[in-house]
Amino acid sequence: MPTFTYMTRCDGCGECVDICPSDIMHIDPVYRRSYNIEPNFCWECYSCVKACPQHAIDVRGYADFAPLGHSVRVLREEANGTISWKIRYRDGREKQFSFPIRTTPWGSIKPPTDYAAPDAAALDSPLLAHEPEMLMVAALPALTGNKQG
Amino acid sequence: MMFTTNPFTTLTDFVPLEVIQGYVILMIVAVAAGTVFDLLHDSKARFFLQDRQRAKAAARRQLSATELAAIAAKTITTDIATFGEFCNQRRRISHALMFYGFVLYLLTSMAMVFAYPSATPVVLPVLWNLGVVMTLVGGYWFFFLLRVNVVHDGQPPWRLVRADLFIVTLLASLTFALIFEWAALSENTATTKVFAGLYILFTTLLCVSVPWSKFAHMFYKPVVAFQRRVEEADGSSSLPMPTAPRGERCPHSHT
Repeated sequence: MPTFTYMTRCDGCGECVDICPSDIMHIDPVYRRSYNIEPNFCWECYSCVKACPQHAIDVRGYADFAPLGHSVRVLREEANGTISWKIRYRDGREKQFSFPIRTTPWGSIKPPTDYAAPDAAALDSPLLAHEPEMLMVAALPALTGNKQG
Repeated sequence: MMFTTNPFTTLTDFVPLEVIQGYVILMIVAVAAGTVFDLLHDSKARFFLQDRQRAKAAARRQLSATELAAIAAKTITTDIATFGEFCNQRRRISHALMFYGFVLYLLTSMAMVFAYPSATPVVLPVLWNLGVVMTLVGGYWFFFLLRVNVVHDGQPPWRLVRADLFIVTLLASLTFALIFEWAALSENTATTKVFAGLYILFTTLLCVSVPWSKFAHMFYKPVVAFQRRVEEADGSSSLPMPTAPRGERCPHSHT
């Protein structure tokens, strides 16, 4: 189900280029609008669809389970913390679903780059970076005794 | 004196005024013909009309003439006059500078060529220069720092593609317009002829390249913006209804 861009809606802002985890959303050299350079490698993660400020990106469903004439569109409202889906069937029926997507404000979670890098000695620890404080516990259980092979 | 003298007056020393006027009309015809060719050749008009028919069939209610007038007014004030489509404020300001600068340049050029070829009111060359400078500031800012293929796709600024045809010919035309004005007013005949030639060359390229360049997006964008607002109002839009009363125009962006 590769993504495609409605050229009349796209304003060429580049958000989809930055967010695509497959790096397949690029800028068209003729119209300077986004396009999917390799539909076969699109894993339908919907990152670009949700991030597009103009709602210019859509996903084309495979015809065996999403017959022609249907529509599945999404609207993410980051200020409200909601995501809504509108399903339109071939016979004209429509359904809309809205879900909460988070309990904290958008942008309030620090990215990994905002944390201090662990020192080299941490490589010998079985703990992951910033454990156990990021799990909000005093300590994690540790293995005791020697394992007999 | 630069900025207050009609630069086209100097041009009449080499070229008759009637030829200059004929050239301006020819360029307007080239832009109009190029836009029509682009609409028909790429099936843009056919696709737009098909999509309008689809939207009409999916409409939940008919909009009244008053509602359509209100949508048209909103499109003019938000999408056209203040470039509300852009969520990136730098792109929005740069487009506003280019658009208003170019319109000012066009209107004052026409006034100085057709209405006041001699005894030009001082305000016209002043506004002409203001328009040129506004377009160049917005244009060079866009060209070097805002072009999406440069900023997001990581391409070098000097790697030119077909999408750059409009911005390059526009910037070249107006840059040489400013240099031509300086040369004309410094009364150096050879320099004036060279830069007038370059100015005319790039202006011609700008106007005749419409079928291959992004020139016509100035005409298409308002039509599409109006259609999008109509679809949101009559319920034919395929997008979900926003959960907040007024929706969220521009989501959080890292750019």
